[in-house]
Amino acid sequence: MNNSAKWIRKQYRTGWAFLITGGLVAIAGALLPVWISATTFNTRIVTGVGIFLIGVGLSYLIRYRAARREPLTGARMANEANDERSRMLRARAGNRAYWVSTALAYGGLMWVSFAANGSLPHLSEDALWYFLAAVVIIPFGVYAIGLTREEERE
Amino acid sequence: MKNHLEKLRIDHNWTQQELADRAHVSRQTIISLERGRYNPSIMLAFRLARIFEREIEEIFIYDEEEDYE
Repeated sequence: MNNSAKWIRKQYRTGWAFLITGGLVAIAGALLPVWISATTFNTRIVTGVGIFLIGVGLSYLIRYRAARREPLTGARMANEANDERSRMLRARAGNRAYWVSTALAYGGLMWVSFAANGSLPHLSEDALWYFLAAVVIIPFGVYAIGLTREEERE
Repeated sequence: MKNHLEKLRIDHNWTQQELADRAHVSRQTIISLERGRYNPSIMLAFRLARIFEREIEEIFIYDEEEDYE
């Protein structure tokens, strides 16, 4: 089996894995309030994660279908995914995003430590939520911008 | 690193996409290689050398000064 065929098979397997996992998580989210009457959190969060995973699975299966229908397109998609230059650029952008993520998490940790001994104000629940959201979103943005800039430079 | 990729490709009457398909890389990688903005891995250099039926040194020109910059 050549690399292109391997990549196409992988899209199929990964797509179904995400789809099944997403379906199970979404169903679990929908049934949680039935199973446990006194849930202390909004179970739609669980359903949302399930729907997101279903979306990821579908995107893999759409790619698989496009690759199977047109072998040349499939080979080019596989080449694009396994391309050494693209991998290098993704690794560089990912490395930068990792350090930003680490710096944000370390900053949060320091804040909580200083807040515990009264040197800094305590974070409210809302502030903590926004901070955690930023810890997720900012590295993603750094990754996307880094990738675009590296693409232009290399 | 300088190279003769563009000349060799044109001599073979191939488009950048055709060369990319043969070398199993993206067209963007061929563009970057031809412009000398990207240095290939040793595996890709060998693959390109095989495609053009040349030695690596006949395609890629190693510049010691550039290496130490």
